[in-house]
Amino acid sequence: MADFRLQARGIRKSFGGVEVLHGVDLDAASGSVLALLGENGAGKSTLVKILAGDYTPDEGEIDVGGEVHAALTPVGARQLGIRMIFQELSDAPALTVAENISLGRWPGTRGIVNWRALRRRAERALEQLGVDIDPDAPVSSLRIGERQVVEIARALSDEARCLILDEPTAALSSQEVDRLFTFVHRLRERGVALIYITHRLEEVRQIADRVQVLRDGNVVLVDDVGEVDRRALVSAMVGRAIDDVQRPPAPTWPTGETPVLHFAGATSEGAFADVDLDVHPGEVVALYGKVGSGTGEIAEAAFGTLSLTGGTLELDGKPVAFRSPAQAIDAGVGLLPADRQREGVFAVRPVAENLSAPSWPRLAKALGFITSAVEATAYRRWHDTLGIRSRNDPAQPIGTLSGGNQQKVLLGRWLERKSHALLLVEPTRGVDVGARQEIYRSIRALSAQGVGILIPTSDYEEVVQVADRAAVMARGRIVARLAGDEITTEALTEAAGG
Amino acid sequence: MTEPNEPTQLASGEAAAEGPAVTPAARTRKGRSIPELAALVTFFVVEVVFFSLKSPYFWHPLSANGWDNWLNILTAVAVAGIIAAPATLLLVAGQFDLSVGSGTAFTGVMMAYMVAGHGFSTGLAVVLVLAAGLGIGVINGFFVTVVGVNALITTLGMLAVLRGLGKVVAGGQTLILENFSGLGTSRPFWNIPTPVLILVGIFLVFWLMMRYTIFGRSMYAIGANPIAARLTGIRSKRLIFVAFLLSGLCTALGGLILTSQLGAASPVASLGLELSVVTAVILGGASLAGGRGTILGTILGLLIIGVLNNGLILLNVDPFYQEVAQGTLLIAAVSFDQLRIRLTSR
Repeated sequence: MADFRLQARGIRKSFGGVEVLHGVDLDAASGSVLALLGENGAGKSTLVKILAGDYTPDEGEIDVGGEVHAALTPVGARQLGIRMIFQELSDAPALTVAENISLGRWPGTRGIVNWRALRRRAERALEQLGVDIDPDAPVSSLRIGERQVVEIARALSDEARCLILDEPTAALSSQEVDRLFTFVHRLRERGVALIYITHRLEEVRQIADRVQVLRDGNVVLVDDVGEVDRRALVSAMVGRAIDDVQRPPAPTWPTGETPVLHFAGATSEGAFADVDLDVHPGEVVALYGKVGSGTGEIAEAAFGTLSLTGGTLELDGKPVAFRSPAQAIDAGVGLLPADRQREGVFAVRPVAENLSAPSWPRLAKALGFITSAVEATAYRRWHDTLGIRSRNDPAQPIGTLSGGNQQKVLLGRWLERKSHALLLVEPTRGVDVGARQEIYRSIRALSAQGVGILIPTSDYEEVVQVADRAAVMARGRIVARLAGDEITTEALTEAAGG
Repeated sequence: MTEPNEPTQLASGEAAAEGPAVTPAARTRKGRSIPELAALVTFFVVEVVFFSLKSPYFWHPLSANGWDNWLNILTAVAVAGIIAAPATLLLVAGQFDLSVGSGTAFTGVMMAYMVAGHGFSTGLAVVLVLAAGLGIGVINGFFVTVVGVNALITTLGMLAVLRGLGKVVAGGQTLILENFSGLGTSRPFWNIPTPVLILVGIFLVFWLMMRYTIFGRSMYAIGANPIAARLTGIRSKRLIFVAFLLSGLCTALGGLILTSQLGAASPVASLGLELSVVTAVILGGASLAGGRGTILGTILGLLIIGVLNNGLILLNVDPFYQEVAQGTLLIAAVSFDQLRIRLTSR
């Protein structure tokens, strides 16, 4: 493939009178991977959407292999060989793998699809990636990592010269991440220019040749990956120095005798088996495991959405078998789901309502009467303490907040509910670095007040930064237990690796 | 344990001092919420001014009988309005009830059949008809929440079932019902017809319910995100079931009023009533995706339709065009909404 270069120069873009990109440059060359870093709201997505033709820049130019454009359209960008793979999959689940790969450009003549050519094209693309996926299988039957591979195959068969990947690893297990990296490297060898957006700093070193950091709509750092260390990247992203992964100070508060949550030989077929686990009041216990290891299911079992087929669960020393989240909530359990958009927020509804929903029965007066004023009071109670950054308008729809701030509101939901057993599943997924530290501080402060907290997570740095004790899960079983300073990134990855 | 989760004891972190960081999305959304109802009000005012200028009968605020036509308008939309209130509640939770049109016809026929045909006392028959309305709600609610059939399909089926049952009961005829004109035609206070008073009462109840009760707020939450609603402890199925009951009850009430107004019940009455109801609710700003919509908006939507129909009659436009106008209005309202979203999000 001939050398190819995609350059953006002096890109400016405003939304509703607010400029979010202040003259940004970007340079992606064939045969290299450019990592694009930045906190949520830094302008990464806006920038790549301009490259993909989704947005029209107010100023600046886009140079595609020597051709200079003031703006691109989605169709134009595609014809120039620019393809983007979104964070949310944009495939057609009901169609087969082969159909998805040829989506929008079916081979054939006079509007009649040539099915054999379609299948051959799919086979060739999958073969180039070296994956074993049945071209005739419906995409809905694939795992999420495989679906992403199909999207890459689609871009590949489309002769993409520049491929933009927007946080592709957010939903992948670590094996799938490794595989994805192999594909990225293979594409690089084939001379594709890659732009890789991520939140995960450790990925940058593994995958990228160059790195560019955006902050508040400006480029604050561009360099070869070998030239910058982690600390420099983080401080460029957040605009101030942030410590490396550090243990929290040892708790100065006592932990309660009776565990708030006590699993004994707990088993749920197809999810986890023989789990013994205690969470005491005033304690943060992390449940670390890769995606699919059963950590999230443990939380579901304690919240009434998954039933145990063996063993027992006790809450505050009393055996329980919740049949619905409503029952679990009434007993004092709160759950922060992993998928915030799908399971957590009421996007179009006001923040105050989002925060107070489970507390309505307590906040309401006679006959279930509840006013926005009562909700606003509840919201203001937590707005500053949780460090929620918003217009401070209780009526603002939660969907307009950044991911980290949405997560803080959802945490406030259970604080207002006075839940004393909290299940925080992947509490900082998709949350930027600064907000992440604030959430960890809030979690520690909560445990100091005697709340028992269980954190099922696939992020080992998170475990190190927040947990008093950790259990490591693999294939549905607890394979290691760590406490205090034994909790290190090395110990965790080693224990989960088997 | 002592009271946990005292806000003052939580570390706030230095970041809170940095002040609000408004995302671009937040700013574009800010300018959006206001024109939503403003556009409707503008349209309504234009409509009223237009018909006032064009027809001497529409509105003469200074003359003695100048306001009478407004009572006509309200009376004409009373039945649709009484049903539009629970329809708003349902749509806010992402649910529909399309069986309301044939439901009013069926319950009306039932009333006439029992009283005129079989000598039931009026009081007993009214109670039985309201119970039948609840029964319709139970069936709709059962299939939607327990069996899990999509509400559109369930109530579409129910629409056909009730239309057919009405014809069976009435033998395909229009049944005459005398001595039941009170509910539909009496004017107990200030010369205001009873159906209008009922309409106002129902709107008041639903306004309070949707704005100020846990039940109403939960319906918004269910529509905005059903999974999140379940995970915050909202008993969604139970609440949706109750909303279908309310819809059934209001349908029966509408059937009674209609029969009383006409002095007769026809199994083919209220054809397309579900369309008027949905038009009013959507026009009033409720989102098909759920989570958004208000009773005040629905009232406005209803008035826009009422004024349009009334104005067209006063201008001697062929009544068949009323349907054309109403359908056009529905498409225009939704298109306008889409256009507004596109203009403000770019």
